[in-house]
Amino acid sequence: MNKNIQLIQINFIRLVLTLAIIFFVLTLFGTSPISIFDSIIYGSMGSYSKFIRTLIVWAPISLASVALIYTFSAGMWNIGIEGQIIMGAVGATFVARSFFGDTIISPYVQILFALGFGGFWGLICGVLKVKGNVHEIFSGLGLDFVASGIVIYLIIGPWKREGIASTSGTDVFDKASWIPTIGQNEFPLLLILIIFVIYIFSFFIFKYTSFGLRLKATGVNEDAAERFYFSSGKYILLSFFIAGAIAGLAGFSQASGAYHKLVPSISGGFGFLSILIVLICSRNIFFTLIISFLFSALIVGGSQLQIKLGLDHSLIGIIQALFVLSWLILEKLKLEKILLSKIIRSNE
Amino acid sequence: MLFENTIVTVISLSTPLIIAVIGETISEKSGVINLSAEGTIMISALSGFAFGYITDFAIIGFLAGMLTGSIIAAFISYCDIKLRMDQIAVGFVLTILCIDLSNYLGQDYVRINGPMVTKFAIPFISKIPILGNVFFNHSLITYFSILLIPISWFFLNKTNLGLSIRASGENPLAASSRGINVKKMRMFGTIIGGALLGLAGASFSLYTKYGWSESHTANYGWIILAIVIFGGWNPFRAAAGAYGFGLLQVLAIKAQTVTLALSQILPLLPFPIMIFILIFIQYINRSERNKFPKFLISILGGNQPEALGRKLPEDVK
Repeated sequence: MNKNIQLIQINFIRLVLTLAIIFFVLTLFGTSPISIFDSIIYGSMGSYSKFIRTLIVWAPISLASVALIYTFSAGMWNIGIEGQIIMGAVGATFVARSFFGDTIISPYVQILFALGFGGFWGLICGVLKVKGNVHEIFSGLGLDFVASGIVIYLIIGPWKREGIASTSGTDVFDKASWIPTIGQNEFPLLLILIIFVIYIFSFFIFKYTSFGLRLKATGVNEDAAERFYFSSGKYILLSFFIAGAIAGLAGFSQASGAYHKLVPSISGGFGFLSILIVLICSRNIFFTLIISFLFSALIVGGSQLQIKLGLDHSLIGIIQALFVLSWLILEKLKLEKILLSKIIRSNE
Repeated sequence: MLFENTIVTVISLSTPLIIAVIGETISEKSGVINLSAEGTIMISALSGFAFGYITDFAIIGFLAGMLTGSIIAAFISYCDIKLRMDQIAVGFVLTILCIDLSNYLGQDYVRINGPMVTKFAIPFISKIPILGNVFFNHSLITYFSILLIPISWFFLNKTNLGLSIRASGENPLAASSRGINVKKMRMFGTIIGGALLGLAGASFSLYTKYGWSESHTANYGWIILAIVIFGGWNPFRAAAGAYGFGLLQVLAIKAQTVTLALSQILPLLPFPIMIFILIFIQYINRSERNKFPKFLISILGGNQPEALGRKLPEDVK
């Protein structure tokens, strides 16, 4: 118990230090950090409809983040997450454009296809790693671009809009294919349900199953895993498949929840953002849920910065990356531990 | 005439790619994947253009780009060696940070005119028919990029320093017991590589893709990571890969009038090729080498540094 309290204290001090660094840099840019954060909070949670917008952004980010926990647990760098999101969106679009498209079951069939397409794309990375010994960073990066190539081809070619071939996207889906929402403000109940199911499922996997334990063992030391009579390769493959499938759901959310069509940059860079999120959450599922929400609020609130303060939205990316970088470095420097012991000593 | 023009365009279009690919190769030979290439190139493109614009000297711009690149690389090196952080994590975060940073800081420099790098025809030899125009009528930075290919090969294969860098990237423990200062070598390789990446960024904004706009050099950093692998960590082959990509770009522009899809997809070709090369490299490393014809190995094989992307062992001094 005592250890837990100390952990929270350390994390709290680290958070304060990280925010101090961000405030310092923002001041250095000649901007006012207080008014920036004020406008972000107002822009992301100031009204019910703004909150809904934040949820729509939060859905893919939180899903991609929890997906990455699987691969990180197995000690794998899943940079291919962007491609897995994209392929999930392709799977969803395929269903939305098929004869299912105007039926009520369309979103649920889309979920299956998104899981399958994303999982398959993740599995390629895993197979290349296990069978071909190809570094997952390079194969992941390659598959990201191959996936975006496929999307561009589909949008210009077979799935082009009536009459015109442009890179602005496919036709908008039939309403029946949109992710069902509730009420006038279109609360995305189905998406929120998906997120909670996936998170609770993952929590149980890592906390209570031998599968979760073995996955983590694989990440710690591949050879040690072999010595305990299970093949680490199998777990690496599975981790890539599950991660890809969950990332595919993020793509489904982007295609049928956010855009309602397939566009070239369908992933919105959320896959890379999720990597940043998971880096600071050190595979803690609860933290991941919270941090991914905060980062989504930053994105949605940040879109108001241009209008309200005349600041470019790239400032949001700077805040996010700076947050992660400072956090990682502070974690290594162990400043907080020293600070904490000093505080305790001065209290005594 | 058309053929001649195409070669001229390819050579000048590939200038920054050559420099960046060789920089990344040196960095990876020392055992460090500089994953920040995408961000480094973009922010040094901005700093190169901005300093060139402020001082009105292109050369200052190139130096500023190099400095930016080496600072980022030094930071990665510090995190890698002193803090023992994951170099991939640091490089990745820096990529995202640098992209957004360059977009934020570059707002005042969007679509304005700064100093321009002019062509410099080498006296006498540029007068040789056809050949002279194709090879000896470029800007100084292009000549530099061409010279860099044999120089970097010589550096990595024939000099003590280059061999020490390679040894540190292959087997840090063995290198260390041979009296090589592995940490220093690794840091040196990363910083030299970073400086070249920065120079590449500056040559985008001051020469081949003149000026600055939002995400000005988008995706080039990822592409050079692919080309380094295509090159099998060999400067000559990497350069060939870079020229090949330059040719792809020219073809993509030409294809625009024929079919839109082709022009969008051609520039993505290096990525699947990269994956195939990686599979092939691993495959021949596992099976007996003499099973394959020699020319195939020399085209498709490659020496991936053994310790690439790994942390230094604890007991390396």
